[in-house]
Amino acid sequence: MPISLSAHNVVKRYGGVTALSDASLDIHSGEVLALIGANGSGKSTLSKIINGVVVLDGGQLLLDGKPVHFSSPQLAKNLGISTVFQEFSLVPQMSVAENIWLTREPLLRGPIVDQNATRRKTEELLALFAGMFKSKLTPDMPVAALPADEKQIIEILKAVSFNPRLLILDEATASLDSRQVQRLFELVTMWKQEGKAIVFVSHRMEEIFQVADRYSVLRNGKTVGDGFIKEVTTKALIDMMVQEAKVENVVQRDLPSAGSLEERKVRLEVKDLRAPSLNGVSFRLHEGELLGLGGLKGQGQHPLLIALFGDLPYSGTIVLDGLPVHFTHPSQAMKKGLALVPGERAREGLLLIRSILENFLVPSWREYGFPLRIGKARQKAEDMSTRLSLKMAGLDAPVSSLSGGNAQKVVIGKWLMRNPHLLILDDPTKGIDVRAKADFYQLLAQLCNGGKSVLLYSSDDEELIGLCDRVLVMHDGTIKSELIGGSLTRSNLVAASLGTSQEAEQ
Amino acid sequence: MRRIAISPPLAAVLLAILLFLLSGLLPNGFGSNVDIATAQATNILRLSVFLGVIAAGQTLVIMSGGEGIDLSAGAVVTLTAIITYSIVNGHNENVVPALLVVLVVGALVGLVNGMGVMFLKVAPLVMTLGMAGVVSGSILVLTQGSVRGSIAPIMTELIARPVFLGVPGAIIIWIIFGALMWLLLQRTTFGKNLFAIGTNRTTSRLSGVNVTGMVLGTYALAGMLAGLGGFLVVGNTGVVHIRIGDPFLFPSIAAVAVGGTLLSGGKGSYFGTMAGALVLTLITSLLTTMQMPESVRRIVLGATLLTMISVYGRQRGFRQ
Amino acid sequence: MRVFRPQDLVYRRSYSFALLLLVLAVVVNFILQPNFLEPTTLNNNMRVFLPLILVAAGQAVVILGGGIDISVGAILSIVNALLATQIGLDGNPGKAWLVMLLSLFVGIAAGAINGFFVAILRLQPIITTYATSFLFAGFALLILPNPGGGVPSLFTTFYRDTTLLGLPLAFYLIALVLLAWYGVRQTRYGRYLFAVGGKPEAAYETGVPVSMVQFSTYVISGLMSAFGGIAITLLTSSGNAQVGDAITLSSITAVVIGGTVLSGGTGGIGGAMMGAVILGLVHNIISFANVGTWWQTFVNAAVIVLALALPGILNLARRRRS
Repeated sequence: MPISLSAHNVVKRYGGVTALSDASLDIHSGEVLALIGANGSGKSTLSKIINGVVVLDGGQLLLDGKPVHFSSPQLAKNLGISTVFQEFSLVPQMSVAENIWLTREPLLRGPIVDQNATRRKTEELLALFAGMFKSKLTPDMPVAALPADEKQIIEILKAVSFNPRLLILDEATASLDSRQVQRLFELVTMWKQEGKAIVFVSHRMEEIFQVADRYSVLRNGKTVGDGFIKEVTTKALIDMMVQEAKVENVVQRDLPSAGSLEERKVRLEVKDLRAPSLNGVSFRLHEGELLGLGGLKGQGQHPLLIALFGDLPYSGTIVLDGLPVHFTHPSQAMKKGLALVPGERAREGLLLIRSILENFLVPSWREYGFPLRIGKARQKAEDMSTRLSLKMAGLDAPVSSLSGGNAQKVVIGKWLMRNPHLLILDDPTKGIDVRAKADFYQLLAQLCNGGKSVLLYSSDDEELIGLCDRVLVMHDGTIKSELIGGSLTRSNLVAASLGTSQEAEQ
Repeated sequence: MRRIAISPPLAAVLLAILLFLLSGLLPNGFGSNVDIATAQATNILRLSVFLGVIAAGQTLVIMSGGEGIDLSAGAVVTLTAIITYSIVNGHNENVVPALLVVLVVGALVGLVNGMGVMFLKVAPLVMTLGMAGVVSGSILVLTQGSVRGSIAPIMTELIARPVFLGVPGAIIIWIIFGALMWLLLQRTTFGKNLFAIGTNRTTSRLSGVNVTGMVLGTYALAGMLAGLGGFLVVGNTGVVHIRIGDPFLFPSIAAVAVGGTLLSGGKGSYFGTMAGALVLTLITSLLTTMQMPESVRRIVLGATLLTMISVYGRQRGFRQ
Repeated sequence: MRVFRPQDLVYRRSYSFALLLLVLAVVVNFILQPNFLEPTTLNNNMRVFLPLILVAAGQAVVILGGGIDISVGAILSIVNALLATQIGLDGNPGKAWLVMLLSLFVGIAAGAINGFFVAILRLQPIITTYATSFLFAGFALLILPNPGGGVPSLFTTFYRDTTLLGLPLAFYLIALVLLAWYGVRQTRYGRYLFAVGGKPEAAYETGVPVSMVQFSTYVISGLMSAFGGIAITLLTSSGNAQVGDAITLSSITAVVIGGTVLSGGTGGIGGAMMGAVILGLVHNIISFANVGTWWQTFVNAAVIVLALALPGILNLARRRRS
């Protein structure tokens, strides 16, 4: 049954942050549409809107020409829209067959599941990827026993088992090897000929050019271009993804030249750091340097940061201010002047139901003696909130009453109260508004000018370019390239993250 | 949709007063006689002390989060009451050594609870329920069915009798104890870290809090307070039996819930628990005055806790 | 045909561990009590174990589904009190059947109350069923304030002496429960149960009616506790409103020994029933091994704590090795 789905001028806001401001998309039976965009451009949000997981705030969704409202993902599924999720929707303890057919098990009679039919139908699906599994994969194997790529294939097969009219592949190739990707593309071509419509979300340029018929580019929540793949080049696509206009809100700093960086004292030296999903990372961080960490999501940035802070066991050498250190608990790293602002603010950075005062003071209560000198602590917290121009009802209000930007100020403030000399930041501006971002950039610039060292991971490329002295681009658990001075440009950063070589074309 | 701001501890105090006035209306209540009413109130307060002290440990464990709860408290009260009874054996000079011993014993039981919870990842309720069995078993081993000993006169003087302006010692002890608990929770690093780990253990760890040490310490302290409870209980009753601690267990949890401490951890106060202990003691004595059997007592207590969970304890749904 | 694979060992290892313990317990028991395998002794043992076996099966279903039921002992007590007072030592058999049927409904109703609070109102299962356990225990005491009452000897004799083809009645009842479980495993519901216990978010996303499945586990557990209550009444032929107190923890322990993880999603009731038998045998061993009378409670409790800690200990050991 043919399908056509259009999204017109879609708007989606999360709190004060606009994820999509004006996104549009058109997809019809028998074609593959590549949905392209840089980190945080709203690709995932848009694909979640067309599969009913997220409800749109503005704009319109047309299915087969008629306006449609998905009140639940189930409804979208019943209408023939199926998604391969980035986050796994499989139950690890259950077998491959049980997972694929959950809620749609073939029945023998009454409520009895037809095991043989389930197994047979699963084997038919598995046959689509025959020869692509490392070991023999049978329908009865528990999903938890499978490696990540095979889990991803099961996830794809689960989505396909619905026999959807529209299939959304959201970064579905990220954990597959090249043979598996090739097979997936053969299948995509086959499904296309069967009359299915396919939305393909990916960062990998060569894949897009290989499999897609049309493209649609998102930038900052806005659709900025679409057309036929045959009529476009990689460079043109990257230019569309990257904003040409000058970035505002990023503080102008006197960027040191490569030479002057080398002359400064080394604060942190990391040699061959290894941990799960970290495959040997080495770099240096100087005094007063703002070092950026870029790359696609999940390339080892998070493990690297928490390993440095003593929250992840690792092997390798870390030298801090000339002395080798090996932290096994964050409290040890803190004592040596390190601070970590984690990425998941609510889950890792805040005590949501506690007061702003207590959130400021969690790492430093010990300094206030016994009994705690609350007056002094309050004064310090008061000073810090003034310094950060924190907008709040009062120090005793719960931190959950703050907006995203102000809450993040508290997370940073609690560390500044300890006056650390090495700040590790894990995507600190995610989900905070422009105003708060500007304040934050100003603060980072001040800190660096004062001789502090900052290691900043950001999923926002503009931020890395506008703010950092140097940027290390991570890929697959290693540092793939270093961008500094003249080479620190948007195109180079995007190209390095995507794994294409921009320089070669120039 | 702003609700009227009334803090749970205050609500509990108001409930206690209401229950007290209600009990006066009963046929065999204190009626309108002010003297009897005062005596009655003093007595209720005095009886609340024991539950209040035992519930203090429960408050700490529940505040520490991770589904924390201490079901071994009842058995520890019994054990320490018996130990106090046999060590003191009528001699005033043995009182302090006995107190030290029961505090250590309680702390050890609590430490084992904490290790099971933290290192072996046994759910706190299951772990402490299991330890309740072990402690009950060791009571049988220790006593071999008969308890010999007695309390010392000084214990009766200090705990059961009026010591100052007609106020029984137990109440004065409770006031001091309450102040110390406030100091612990609000004016020490331990207290601040306890709220932190109860709210979010990941955030706490990433802020340098030693979560493992905190959990072990909290369970040990809770055991110690149950030990203190056992000491006070036997000082009040003067006699001991091998089920003396059991009636305190369920009310100790209910008292924490009534006092507005979040059962999922991270928020609450000992004043709330004190008010909760008062409410539960009132409920119990109200039921006794009405000559209600044990069955009704249990039903009322069970329903009380269930109501408090329904009011304070909803979990998040799956829909975002 | 299913072939043995190494990863099966990882995911079903604890089940074989229960089997190992069972064999060990049987051997030790056999040494201490040479007539252990004779039909009479076997029958004597199995009918004593049966109440816990039934309750543990129900507990396993709740835990599989990601919950826990602290009120099973209290539900068992209500049923015991109900049977002992409403049938009586010289009640008529026709009425007795009716009361037993009623008691099953009481178990279901109690389970539905738990299910309502946990699955529908979404309260924490542990503390909620702990609260209802007090409520139910109160009702049991209300029905039967002091130990007493009973059922006609006709029933106890039937329960005690019935053997079919040389095997005690308990064996057939166990087989019946296992058969029912096997049936449930074949249905969609069976799949839902494992999905809900394994990863509720994924189950919800896939369209599994998560709340209804959770609700049903408590109802099943209530029903199994009622069966356990009937069994214990036929065993003791007397009423005691606190008879179930010790059953709750034992049932959880049996589930843990049987290889079902307390966080849900893996295991089965077969292991839990095996766990119940192991606990019963350990109890036997303790009473036969000349453990002093005053030590028995302690040793029993210590065994239970050790059994509960076992998965954690194995885990620690494994982590230390790697």
